[in-house]
Order: sequence, then C-alpha cells, then structure tokens
Amino acid sequence: MNVDLSRRSFLKLAGAGAAATSLGAMGFGEAEAAVIAHVRPHKLTKTTETRNTCPYCSVACGVIIYSKGDLRKGETADIIHIEGDADHPTNRGTLCPKGAALKDFVKSPTRLQYPMHRKPGSDRFERISWEDAFDRIARLMKDDRDANFVAANAAGVPVNRWTTVGMLAASATTNETAWATFKFAKSLGIVGFDNQARV
Amino acid sequence: MSVSPVQPDPSVIGGVPKAPFALMPKLARLFNDRASRFEALAQSSHLAAYLNFLAGITRIQSELVSALPPPEPVRADRVERARANAMPPIDRAAMGSSPDCREVLRQFFEKAEALEKPAAASEALAQVRTADEEMLTWMIGNVMADDLPVESLAHHLYVAAAMQIHAARLAAGLDGSRLVPIRVGVCPACGGRPVASMVIGFHGAEGARYASCSCCATMWNEVRVKCLACGSTKGIGYRAVETGDEEATVKAEVCDTCNSWMKILYQNKNPSLDVVADDVASLGLDLLMKDTEYKRAGFDPFLMGY
Repeated sequence: MNVDLSRRSFLKLAGAGAAATSLGAMGFGEAEAAVIAHVRPHKLTKTTETRNTCPYCSVACGVIIYSKGDLRKGETADIIHIEGDADHPTNRGTLCPKGAALKDFVKSPTRLQYPMHRKPGSDRFERISWEDAFDRIARLMKDDRDANFVAANAAGVPVNRWTTVGMLAASATTNETAWATFKFAKSLGIVGFDNQARV
Repeated sequence: MSVSPVQPDPSVIGGVPKAPFALMPKLARLFNDRASRFEALAQSSHLAAYLNFLAGITRIQSELVSALPPPEPVRADRVERARANAMPPIDRAAMGSSPDCREVLRQFFEKAEALEKPAAASEALAQVRTADEEMLTWMIGNVMADDLPVESLAHHLYVAAAMQIHAARLAAGLDGSRLVPIRVGVCPACGGRPVASMVIGFHGAEGARYASCSCCATMWNEVRVKCLACGSTKGIGYRAVETGDEEATVKAEVCDTCNSWMKILYQNKNPSLDVVADDVASLGLDLLMKDTEYKRAGFDPFLMGY
C-alpha cells in the first residue's frame, strides 16, 4: 500500500468512484479486474541473490550467486547462476575464465564433498570419515615434522623451519580466517605456504 | 611507409570502467521510448486499455519536451552549494510555482483532452483544468511530496505526469558527474523517490543497478542486493510471479528489516524494459505481493494503491 488511507483531509476533489487505486480512479477497473483474475492462480517464486568471493585465487573477486528458493524462509535453495559483482571494487563485475565457470565448479559431479583417501598402492579413492581423516593427517604431519624439522640454521641460530611440507589454503576467507590460517602454518614452521593473507 | 590513422590504444585493454554515479534523462528518447514500450506491452496484456491510455499520456510528454524551449537551467552556484551540503540541486518546493512549469502543466492538460479515456478519467481532467490557483498549488505540493491523497488519485495522475515533463527537462540540464549521493533511495537530482530499480547491461556499467526517479527520471547507482527503502543489506530476498522455467525479468526485492519491497527490472536480460511502462504492466506482481507481509516502497503516480 503506497497511499495513506487515513489522509482524507481535502475531499473537494473526490472522484465519482473514489477508488483506492490509480486504475480504479481513472475508470480502468475492468482491466484491473482482468489482471486480478489472470494472476490469482499463480504463485510467487522465491529467489535469492547472495554476495560471495570467488574461491579460486587470492585476487578474491566479488561474485553474486543466484539461487532458486530461500533458505531463510525454510526452503531448499538451488544455485542457478553465478556472475561477477558489479559493485565489487576489485573486479567491477568481471570474472576470469575460471571464475566465469564457477557454477560448473559448484555442480561438478567430481567435486570433492567429503574426505577421500587413496591407500598406498591402491588405484582409487575411498570415502573416510572426518574423524579418521583428521587423525591420519595429524599422525602423518607429526611424523614428518619430527623427522625433518630444522631447529637451527647452519650458523647455529635457532629457527622454526619445516621444509618438507607445503600448505595451500583457500582464498575465499575473511581477514580473521586468513590470520588464523597464517598463525597455524607459521607456528608449525611450514615454509612453503600461500593463502589470502599474502595479498 | 604510410602512417595508419588508426593508432593503438593499449590503455583500454583490461580497463574496467567504474559505473557512473548518475545517468541524466535523455529527453530526445526518454518519453518517446517509454510510449513505444507502453504500446508494445498493450498488445499482449489484460491491462491493454490502461497501457494504451498511458502510451497516449507519454506521447504527449514526448511531444512537449521536444516542442518547448529549454527551461532556465539550475544555477551553477546552486549546484555547487547542493554538492557541498549533500542536497539535491533541483528545488522541488519552488519548482511548481515557476511560470515556466505552469505553462508546461497548462499545455499538457490541454493536449490530454484529446486522449480517448473512460468517463472517470475525463471528469478528473476537467476538474484539474478548471482548478483554481489554491487547488492547483495543493495538488502540485502533493505530487512534489510524493504523497498522493487516496480520494483523488486520478487528478494527481495528470499533475504528476505534467510535473515529470518539467522535472526531466531540469534534470537533463544537469551534469551527472556533479551530483553526489544523498541517502539510500533518494534521487540525487531532485530528492524524489524511485519508481523501481534496474540492473543495466550497457557498456561501462554491466550488471550495475540504477534506481530510477519517479519525478525527474534521473537514474542513480545503488549497490545491488540492498533495500532501497531502508538501506539494509540483511534479509534481502526476491519474489516473482512464477513463469515456468524461464527466469523472471521483473522481480520484487523484499526486505525483512523494514518489511517493504520494490521492483527490480533486469534490463541486462531484456533490453526493452522501461522502468515506468514495465512497472505498470507488471501489476500482477503487485497484486500477489499485496497478500504478503511486505508493503510496496516503489512510488509510481500511474500505479498507486498497491
């Protein structure tokens, strides 16, 4: 409702019908009724547009993700389109070829959705639980670090260097996530490391 | 060896221009294109009678902007003062009393007489034409306040349509690059409320969203996925009349913060969309939105009461 029904101070101009809509007041009530009859069986579809950051590289271009369905209204949402965010100062709506194919990345049948493990000598990946994955990663990291950690350099100065493991972290992170990631990697002494905090 | 007149310009490679803040109305096309759009929409709409009538109104607007001599421009010092204080340079309160504006109104009402229209519309026009100074000033004041009284929407439709002509002429004389943002959902040229917003697709601003002023037709850049009534970016969703598999090009942008909604038109998907013509033609969306918890925030003197 964009007219205030309580505002009837000047009644000197009251029209014949004094209808509450422009169409009614102008005498196009029939056309209005036809639209009402036509639209009644139709429903409203809910869609959303969500800002996000492209996860590919540390340039971190802004994207808008279009979904059908609204999670906040208790529906399931399905991504239907992803495009560059014209308001984002970094990319101003543009995307590189990888970024432009983001929807295929989301919908890819080969997309990694849970931890997978390829055992030594095996020719295929098997699904494992997060619990097992964390335990195994921690075990292997500990063993490798114990075996290869550099505690002092050639001159005997104490250093914190773990050169046999590298880490590549995601770009689509907040400042805080990037900070925590950096602290994690550097406190372990990982030298070969890249994440969003570099930019 | 001859020198080619075509010189390479490496500066354009990889350059992505910043979308301009304001797009001023182009008088030669604005109302003419809008009238054509009204006519095109009327061919396949249940609202054909009203759309054809508005096509006639818009044709008159188009004729008058091309026939009238250019108005006295907004003074440069006024523009600078408005800039310094983040105010619109066009003075809406004063605009309606200028003799130039009154002449536009008079000519518009006279030409509107020839339009084919229902009895109620004729009666309203006759009352507007014979209105005394006090009554006319009151109606202009209502239109300039973007607040139309419900019992005389028909009368105010004519006054608003005539004021659109004058306001667009004034806005067309302004330099868009000298305008500054005032507040979310407020026209930087005249301070008016938007009809709706449009995601545009033309070079230099692909995918950017522009709100379109209901009075002076200035379009100004507003960040996407943001409520133009309250400025919130939280709880924004979109509603459209279901159209099968095809993605709707006119949607309602709803806001859970202030419980209002405004139309958003995807001109980048359908270049023929016109903000006013398609606002009226998509009345079905208004009717369905009426049953939701959201209230309409878009202001269009041709589509009041939803």
